[in-house]
Amino acid sequence: MTAAALPPLRRRSRLGHRVRIAAGLFACVVFLFPVFWMVLSSFKDQRDIFTMPPTLFFTPTLETYIGYMQRADINRRLINTIIVATGSGLLSIAAGAMAGYALARIRLRGAGTIGVIILLSRGVPPIALAVPMFLVARSLGVTDKHITLILAYCTFLIPYVMWLMRGFFLALPRELEESAMIDGCSRFGAFFKIIVPISLPGLLSTLIFSMILAWEELLFALVLTNRHASTIPVSIAGIAGDTVNGANWGALTAVGTITVIPVVIFALLVQKWLIQGLADGATKG
Amino acid sequence: MSMTTATGARTARPRASARLADAVSRWAFMAPSAIILAAMLAYPIFYTVQISFARFDLMTFSAVEWVGWDNYRHVLDDYRFWSSLRVTAIYLAFALPLQIVLGFGIAFLINADWRGRGTVRALFIIPMVVAPVVAGGIWRMILDPLWGIVNWLIGLAGFGPLDWFGDPNLAMAAIVIIDTWRWTPFVVLIATAALLALPRDIFEAAEIDGANWWSMLWSITLPLLVPIIAATFVVRWLGAVKMFDIALAATYGGPGGATNVINLFIYEEAFRSLRFAESAAMAVIVLILTMILTGIFLVGSRALEQRN
Repeated sequence: MTAAALPPLRRRSRLGHRVRIAAGLFACVVFLFPVFWMVLSSFKDQRDIFTMPPTLFFTPTLETYIGYMQRADINRRLINTIIVATGSGLLSIAAGAMAGYALARIRLRGAGTIGVIILLSRGVPPIALAVPMFLVARSLGVTDKHITLILAYCTFLIPYVMWLMRGFFLALPRELEESAMIDGCSRFGAFFKIIVPISLPGLLSTLIFSMILAWEELLFALVLTNRHASTIPVSIAGIAGDTVNGANWGALTAVGTITVIPVVIFALLVQKWLIQGLADGATKG
Repeated sequence: MSMTTATGARTARPRASARLADAVSRWAFMAPSAIILAAMLAYPIFYTVQISFARFDLMTFSAVEWVGWDNYRHVLDDYRFWSSLRVTAIYLAFALPLQIVLGFGIAFLINADWRGRGTVRALFIIPMVVAPVVAGGIWRMILDPLWGIVNWLIGLAGFGPLDWFGDPNLAMAAIVIIDTWRWTPFVVLIATAALLALPRDIFEAAEIDGANWWSMLWSITLPLLVPIIAATFVVRWLGAVKMFDIALAATYGGPGGATNVINLFIYEEAFRSLRFAESAAMAVIVLILTMILTGIFLVGSRALEQRN
């Protein structure tokens, strides 16, 4: 009796399993499509972009890329973005990892308060910082400098790094630095000689997330830079918001692709850490 | 007697200096972050509050005289400020629940046990690292009323072309769609980790007891997931209140302010209209509102966590 009843049930659940996989794949395709369409359109010439119905098959051209990579402003902004993302990433990982370690391991009076302040600081709207930063930077004469933007990015990167690294350090066994300090290491020695080397994978992936966040930032870049230290997101905002000539889709997709591809490669390289970090950030945060 | 006090004093002095050195080395870890955050986070907030109570002189580019609550009164009388707050609230009310539901739903789908599971999950990272301003830009192309592929697909299904950026409601829908596209994968990744961490034996026991999947979903999965859902909501809320890039690139607040979220409105008031004092007042109001709501959500999510 029961043996006869089992097979149809299993068949139904196997069908359910297939449907579930298919639906998951469909969702994946839908979510990837805009990126695919951007990359595809960046190899189209104007005629192929403005056509109905939209084409999948066309003669690819590098015209937009060549045209845009020769423009001095785009090149300079790419270099600026690299400088600012690297600078703010390194500064925030150095400062943030030490502070995260302090929160995780060193008993400081008021550490609990600091934790709450960090958490609340993630809720500060950047516009509340951008207005005074612009005014102060202007009166100090430091607008349009890389270092200004780097320090501005630290306002959201340091709390982020602190929180991620705090969780990371909490998970390390306490005996590590205890035995080092018994052996005569100072607190600094224990941190830099023992903790940092074994935390390198975590530090490196946190550095990459931070650089991605800095790479994509728009508001501070719009407000604090104009010519010399401006970044790629500012260019994209300019192209997308060109109300005089209408948006230039070719330029938008080409510059967009250049912006997105390196980040995607980095993100896929550290995907295991990225997923872990996200899960921890949400559950332990 | 005298010998014991002498040795006591001899050991006490190095101990005091060692204690000082110890305190210094403790705080040295915190110092770099504390200094940067004090200069770049705390001071600007203090300065914003200061400007919000002053008249801002554009000639000297500084706050010149104390005007009390005047700026706040102007802002609260400005219907555009209220309409911008309403637009932000509508965006949040649609986008956040949509992203949470979609994110957990998709996570359930892609968690089906098969060979390609890891690849599919990794691919979901891609939309998440597309710069928001790029996301706004490319979706503007995709949703373009004349040449966009979405309207072509809608046309194939037999519906009339939709003027995504001309109609106020559709423009808001566009913003919600773009934001949902960019952020749902983030929820998917958190939800995937949460689903994998669920205890298997409870489900096996329920299956043996003859529970169908619907009742398992309602009485086992969801209650177990509630703390994670609440935490994800808080993290998404903290990101979503900063909405700026996508709206700037996709609609620039239009048409007629229908998608003019609060950050974009303050940005325009400050840097286009150069009304720094009023902008500071608005920023302070938004800051306080955000802090209160964040506090409520944090307390709420902690309570949900402890209930389980």
